[in-house]
Amino acid sequence: MTVSNEAILAVIAEESGLDAAALRPDATFEQLDIGSLDVASTLFAIEDKFGVEIDPDQLNPASTISDFVDLVRQLLPS
Amino acid sequence: MRRKVVLTGYGCVSGLGVGLAATWRRMAAGKGAIRRLADEPATEAPARRIDGPAAWVDVDACRKALAAEDLRAMGQLDPLSLYALTAALEAVEAAGLRGHASLARRKAILVGCGSGGNATIDQAFERLYARKLGKVHPQTIPASMMSAPASHLAMLVGSHGPTFAISSACASSAHALGEAMHMIRAGRVDVALAGGSEACLTPGSWVAWNSVGVMADDTCRPFSRDRRGMVLGEGAAMVVLESEEHAKARGARVLGELAGYGSTSDAADMTAPDLNGIEAAIRMAHEDAGIAPEEPALVSTHGTGTRLNDPVEAAALEAVYGSALPRHTVIATKSAHGHLIGATAAMEFVIGMEALARGLAPPVLGYLGTDPQCDLPLALAPTPTPIDNGVLVSNSFAFGGLNAVLVGRRSA
Repeated sequence: MTVSNEAILAVIAEESGLDAAALRPDATFEQLDIGSLDVASTLFAIEDKFGVEIDPDQLNPASTISDFVDLVRQLLPS
Repeated sequence: MRRKVVLTGYGCVSGLGVGLAATWRRMAAGKGAIRRLADEPATEAPARRIDGPAAWVDVDACRKALAAEDLRAMGQLDPLSLYALTAALEAVEAAGLRGHASLARRKAILVGCGSGGNATIDQAFERLYARKLGKVHPQTIPASMMSAPASHLAMLVGSHGPTFAISSACASSAHALGEAMHMIRAGRVDVALAGGSEACLTPGSWVAWNSVGVMADDTCRPFSRDRRGMVLGEGAAMVVLESEEHAKARGARVLGELAGYGSTSDAADMTAPDLNGIEAAIRMAHEDAGIAPEEPALVSTHGTGTRLNDPVEAAALEAVYGSALPRHTVIATKSAHGHLIGATAAMEFVIGMEALARGLAPPVLGYLGTDPQCDLPLALAPTPTPIDNGVLVSNSFAFGGLNAVLVGRRSA
């Protein structure tokens, strides 16, 4: 499955209620005011949508958007 | 001397529409909201699997009504909360209380609710049991808990006072309004936002309700011969209550008074109504309001349209009002908006108070003719019946024998 960065960002935007344009790659979840429940909801939606399983311990409030996108991309079959 | 509790704002959402104005237009035109989805264009919505008459809320219209609000911090919203927020926003804006300092502290929020967020629970369990998936949405619990609407309303209006849900099945929102009235009388708070919300039109809830054996397969025909049962609806209704001095001090427009409240428990049966408990609740509400049963009233019945409930309620009205019964006008608005379970009492109270203010009793729909066991002075004309009653008696009798009756008084 080919998944674009935009598709991953769209899920984060949907679950956090933020505009995709606001999701700067170097911004952390904390800086964007995306709380732990929203992060959990985002992980859930990504797993559902792309058929991957993400270990939540690999993310923390200091993780950046770019960290998150990279993590998802690593888990996707190439 | 106890504090007088006045009403300064109403809001409601049901199959009849979003907002009191839309609701009243449909009520007055005798156009009920009960329909079958089989008659509608097919959609992919889960509600499509509900095969029977019901009264659905227009969810998109609720989202539109809330479009200007920042709801981001509230997380996932079950329809249960969406309906409550829509009704509450209307009530608070109608009361002129949006952003008012009174909302912050000495204010209570009480939301009646019978069964929590059914849609959220249905979706989660469908994943587990049907699709055999191991995980459910992380917001399943916060979105579906029965107190979610209460929390969401506190966030909407920025209220830090006592806030909680009240649950007594079909009487939940009558208890919410009545207990809110007592909180104001006792001086615990000056303002309360009280009412109820319910969103039970989901496949799981539908099947469960059908298995009780009380659902009509045609429509809701309260007190009519050949009635076949109740019809489920959904929605919310919220009321702003204030101490009279608080309302006067801020120059609020007073819409009426919540003058009395009676509440009893049958302690007898989980589904069958009990004449003694019902009669006692009606008498208690009159006594609390200081209004004699002989004073002409608009009586908004629980009127579910089930074979068992209606004759017991009719007998209770005959017992309380006796020879004065023909002076009253009896309505049964579930025939238009369906049974909103935890929200139904607040919905019926709001419609009843609006009826008093307008001097018009909305018609009972679906009536096929007299049942000798339910011979009441019903408002049966296809158009609203003119009334000049200053008093509303609004009945709610729940499964499990939990009864609550509210008495409202028209604004002078």
